[in-house]
Amino acid sequence: MTQVAEAIASGALPGRLWMYSNYHCNLACSYCLTESAPKVAKRELPAELLLSLAREAKELGFTSVGITGGEPFLLPHLPDTIERLAEILPVIVLTNGTLFTKERLQRVQRFAGKPVALQISLDSPDAVVNDTMRGPHNFRKVIEAIPALVERGVQVRIATTMEEMDESDMVRLCALHRELGVPDEDHIVRPIVRRGRAVDSAMGVEAQAADLPPELTISADGAFWSPFGPTVHSGALDTDLLVSRTTSPLQRPAGILLRLVQGRPPGEDSKLGIK
Amino acid sequence: MSITVAEPQVVVDLIDSSQAPLLARPYYQGSDPGPIVAALAHVPEVLEVAMPFISALYGPSALPVRLKEIVVVRTSAHLECRYCIESHSVVALDAGFSCSEILGLRDLDDTVRERWSSDEAGEPALMEWIDAVAGATGSVSKDSAGRMREYFSDAEIVELTLLIGATMMLNRFCTALGLPSSNGTLERLRAEDLL
Repeated sequence: MTQVAEAIASGALPGRLWMYSNYHCNLACSYCLTESAPKVAKRELPAELLLSLAREAKELGFTSVGITGGEPFLLPHLPDTIERLAEILPVIVLTNGTLFTKERLQRVQRFAGKPVALQISLDSPDAVVNDTMRGPHNFRKVIEAIPALVERGVQVRIATTMEEMDESDMVRLCALHRELGVPDEDHIVRPIVRRGRAVDSAMGVEAQAADLPPELTISADGAFWSPFGPTVHSGALDTDLLVSRTTSPLQRPAGILLRLVQGRPPGEDSKLGIK
Repeated sequence: MSITVAEPQVVVDLIDSSQAPLLARPYYQGSDPGPIVAALAHVPEVLEVAMPFISALYGPSALPVRLKEIVVVRTSAHLECRYCIESHSVVALDAGFSCSEILGLRDLDDTVRERWSSDEAGEPALMEWIDAVAGATGSVSKDSAGRMREYFSDAEIVELTLLIGATMMLNRFCTALGLPSSNGTLERLRAEDLL
């Protein structure tokens, strides 16, 4: 058993390896960590690299992989790549859920029964509130996509990222996700993190390494402490949560991350519920 | 000899403490880490091995500080590294060098070694060795090596020669990236008429 595997087994290190497949997005959300938008540099991790990192992750003892961006489904190869990744480790893909046309629904139907979950963002039970943060027609597209995916047997999680929400709105949101076919255990609620575009509007909570689970995250720019690490502000990459520029062999950044975790004073665990 | 090499144009962003990567943070605690760390912080896994190496060579060791500063200032003069000449002229002042000694170390004329007056007889031999290693390419003359062996042990020759090589590496790194001297360094050199 590797040291990383031991750390994962003991709970010292989360078992998921995150990979930023790309940075571009069809949306430009007001709190986006990475200032993603249609015309930003793509900064892709090629499909073969995603697969080789997943294979290395499995050998090291990681138990799942997560794909995020940007909007991963802008990459034409993504459905095929997810299917291949799922043969290596269970996969979760973070998506804005707005690109599930009939053709794409057909392509992702093959995820049914496989260890693949799609985590779709839905921030409010009100279309106007949701779309103010996420862009026009986002709400409609998402509430159409979710049941269509669920009907096809694809596991869907809903992530709600919020600044503030009163109890009655949360009750309505939960009623909505149940209505869409997503059970309570697949609905996660998390605060906006004040990085990326959220800095400019002073939204969300400040988060340091101590507030964030140490989830090894690989992007085109290097290896980071958390998927909240490789953020972009004013067009410049944040480096405060950079672990290393070296990403392969994966053992190198994983070893450094483990060393950083083991050197962390006791009691400095996440308290903000960021996930 | 005044510093005549070009004004630096900083090529990369120098990382400040708010953006210091996790492995780099120890170097930012308490004070400005300087531009070499602020540049190397872009690649933290290199920084964390480079800095102990640099500290072992440039920090306290079996070699007297005076010999180390002779190496650093004169090597930097050979490679025309403005940042290293300026910053180590201040280190040399703090180590007790006179202004005329510092100007002599920066002067690459061969006759400087003959005019060099010091109680330490090995210093001209070391300057000749620096001139041969840093000021030329190809093999190093046996005469220079022989004079080094008259005054220094094998361990001292190894450490001094590695210091020359490391300084050449840093000279090119600092010059290529256009690393800037601090205002404090420039004010001190101006006050001593060493700019």
